[in-house]
Amino acid sequence: MLQLPPTWAILAAAPLLPMILALPAAAHVSEQSFVLLLPTGHYITSGVIAVLASILLISATPARVVEALFRPLPLGLPTLPDWVRTAISTISAIGLLMLLYIGWSGPRDPLVNLLPLVIWVGFWIGLFSLIGLVGNLWAYLNPWIGPYALLRGRLGQPPALPESLGTWPALAVFVLFFGFYMADPAPSDPDRLAVVVATYAGLTLCGVLIFGPTWLQRCEAFTVLFDLIARTSPFGATRADHLGFPGWALFKDAPVRLSTAIFAVFVLAAGSFDGLKETFWWFARLGINPLEHPGRTALVGSTLIGLSVSFLALLLALAVVLWAGRAIACMGEAQPKPALRRLFCWFAPTLLPIALGYHISHFLVTFMIDGQYLLAAIGDPFARGDNFLNLADIRVTTGFLTSMGSVRVIWLTQAGVVVVSHILAVLVSHRIALHVFETPRRAALSQIPLGAFMILYTLFGLWLLASPRA
Amino acid sequence: MSNRVSKSTITRRTALKTLAGSTGAGLLLPGLAGGAFAQESGPIKLGFQVHRTGIGSAYGRWYERVATAAIARINDMGGINGRQVEMIAEDDGTDPRRGAEVVERFANLHNVDAVFGPLFSHVVIGAAPRAGELKMPYFVVSEGHHVASGALNRYTLQPGITDVKSQVISMAPYVAENVGKKVTMIFPDFAFGHDHRDFFTDAIAAQGGEVIQQIAVPPTETTFTRYFPSIPRETEVVYHVMVGPGVLTFVREMGEFFGGQGPALFGFIDSLEAVDIASPGLEFLEDSYFWEGMPRYAQPDQTPHEAAYRAAVGVDENGASIDDPRDVSTYAHMFGVWETLAVMKAGMEAAGYQGPDDRQSLIEAVEAMSDMPLSDDHPQGDKVFNGRTHQVFGKQSISRVQDGKLVRVHQTSIEDTLYEDEVDYTAQSF
Repeated sequence: MLQLPPTWAILAAAPLLPMILALPAAAHVSEQSFVLLLPTGHYITSGVIAVLASILLISATPARVVEALFRPLPLGLPTLPDWVRTAISTISAIGLLMLLYIGWSGPRDPLVNLLPLVIWVGFWIGLFSLIGLVGNLWAYLNPWIGPYALLRGRLGQPPALPESLGTWPALAVFVLFFGFYMADPAPSDPDRLAVVVATYAGLTLCGVLIFGPTWLQRCEAFTVLFDLIARTSPFGATRADHLGFPGWALFKDAPVRLSTAIFAVFVLAAGSFDGLKETFWWFARLGINPLEHPGRTALVGSTLIGLSVSFLALLLALAVVLWAGRAIACMGEAQPKPALRRLFCWFAPTLLPIALGYHISHFLVTFMIDGQYLLAAIGDPFARGDNFLNLADIRVTTGFLTSMGSVRVIWLTQAGVVVVSHILAVLVSHRIALHVFETPRRAALSQIPLGAFMILYTLFGLWLLASPRA
Repeated sequence: MSNRVSKSTITRRTALKTLAGSTGAGLLLPGLAGGAFAQESGPIKLGFQVHRTGIGSAYGRWYERVATAAIARINDMGGINGRQVEMIAEDDGTDPRRGAEVVERFANLHNVDAVFGPLFSHVVIGAAPRAGELKMPYFVVSEGHHVASGALNRYTLQPGITDVKSQVISMAPYVAENVGKKVTMIFPDFAFGHDHRDFFTDAIAAQGGEVIQQIAVPPTETTFTRYFPSIPRETEVVYHVMVGPGVLTFVREMGEFFGGQGPALFGFIDSLEAVDIASPGLEFLEDSYFWEGMPRYAQPDQTPHEAAYRAAVGVDENGASIDDPRDVSTYAHMFGVWETLAVMKAGMEAAGYQGPDDRQSLIEAVEAMSDMPLSDDHPQGDKVFNGRTHQVFGKQSISRVQDGKLVRVHQTSIEDTLYEDEVDYTAQSF
């Protein structure tokens, strides 16, 4: 059974959606030209110092304070009745069918057709970020749980999925999804995307009808993803009638399954490589002149290799850091050390705030531009010349990328999000260490390698933002 | 900031509405509307190959805006041969292989009458052979020399924008006469920069000048101070064509290096296309010279044709969007889309174009064109089309930065831009 956020969390999020979508619009050369004129070196130093300070501060903070910080308050609010979720999900399913129709039959321009705009801008960029900030809206918005609830009476008792399956299928699907998003030559092509979305939605519906909602929790990539990402929000993901310091659920809901822990690592690795693959540094590795960008078709193989290497490298780095932390914490102590696998399942989710921060930061500019195209397409969804809410008259502007003042504000916002996300990861990780390593001293010692890792990752994230990109 | 469009300018939506109303076609579904039944009675269908995503997307956004406005104007004038014009846009991702696929889609799925629009040279070079094989008229707006050099084919034409060779060589007489004869060139070390190096070095020599130093900068460079000491002392003009994210840094570092005491600066606006000249860091550009395909800032002697064009595409007297004064257009290049569509219309009318069977006649009709006088069809100025090389020639502007704005100080003649034919496409079979 899916755990749902309370009514008021949904209601609180609703007004945010249009606000976020109404922000002004694409990463172009000119924006990067201005970024290169900014004193990013100073900004990066400040960001790294902030993360270092947070590590020292939390290490010196009494354990009971840290524990109190991550203890959520019960809100005592009623959860929404099931029919609300069924209704929202069913509307979502009908909306998806309309989008698929538009994808197949509508305009071929990916910045005019509503399907790619909703999938990439509304869903991938917008909903991902929103869920990380306010809680697991996907539990309502997914297009399968409603149709399942409506058809449940006609279905027999679903067979159980084997426990050993874990969330490995969802991880496999998510890897495929990222491969498509990152390496496919034309992931925004409307009818190509329509085929991909329809295939996935159809297969998932079959899975849900046969195996029940458990299918979503094990095999549906976005259910697993958003359940993880929602844990960084003040409302958590699975105890959403509680409110607490952002990330409290990363502790409360840990340890996770091994497959889910690896899923969390992949989310950060893929998001990081998504940024890295645009840098001149990466093009230099490929021996390609970024000013004569050969197009995505020429980069399919290198992108998939880069994605795989990033994933393996981050897995290895986390394992080494946890191993070293355990060694330092337990040095000279006779009692048995916690198993590395157990540590991995505790600590891997602490990377999720960073993944969320990277996501928001990486896509901010794209969202500001393509969000305008999305609004215009909502104004004329069938490309018939309609003009709902006067939205279709929006003329997309990127002027905010060609003025030093606005570029500085955008850059500092991106950098701020990256820094805050690392600080959050440091705090959550320390809270978990207090639990796993039992004494404040051992907890603090265990965090030395992870802290160094966080500092380096902050440096990497800010370097990504400041680097010349194609 | 307002995103709203003034009533007088055209958006995709209003253009669509006009088309739907006048043809009675209602909903236009490109994916379904293909097929022979639509021909000869339905609209003329023009495929717009646009850099919607990828590195060309900043240009693509403005090319799309101009194409939409130009087609709305054509439809307002009664369309082509009495038929309305429908534009079908396909994104090529600024990707050569996808460019070729897009051409195939236009031919096989949408069954368009002709294709126009690609800008980036490597995409044009990747897609044009497919257009030739499919016998699809392919009107590029690329300013590359690849059309006139003979590298492409009978079905590929560039009638709406001049090529880089003619642009560069036409600069030499003015530079030698008014700016200086001893030139140091600084350029990015790849094809784009090499074209400038090769064309200008020869052209300035023909004017009695000399390129005394060529400084090739690796394209991924982001700091340039170590290159400036290589500029010889006797240099009178620095010719620079840097592009990419380092360009503002380049300008600032060069300004700091010379401290206002150095040689004159001459550049191509490609470096700063869509960037506000009045941006912080660009004050070093004051008094420097730029090539412009069409002057971004409305000049005192702006023609009524250009004023009408500015209004139609929604650009103010500073070359920025009327909706957002910070949103500077790709003004030096995008007129090419407008003029290309005007040529396509004129060609179809001259050929009595009825349907895809007349594609060959369309090519021949355009090849037969020569003089294209300044008009609403050609707001950038007079042109001469060379049917043998499939390339148009026109006047170029040299502007000088004065009080943070580009002021035209010279306009070349068309003769200044001409060079020997390097190909005769009309000798090739269809």
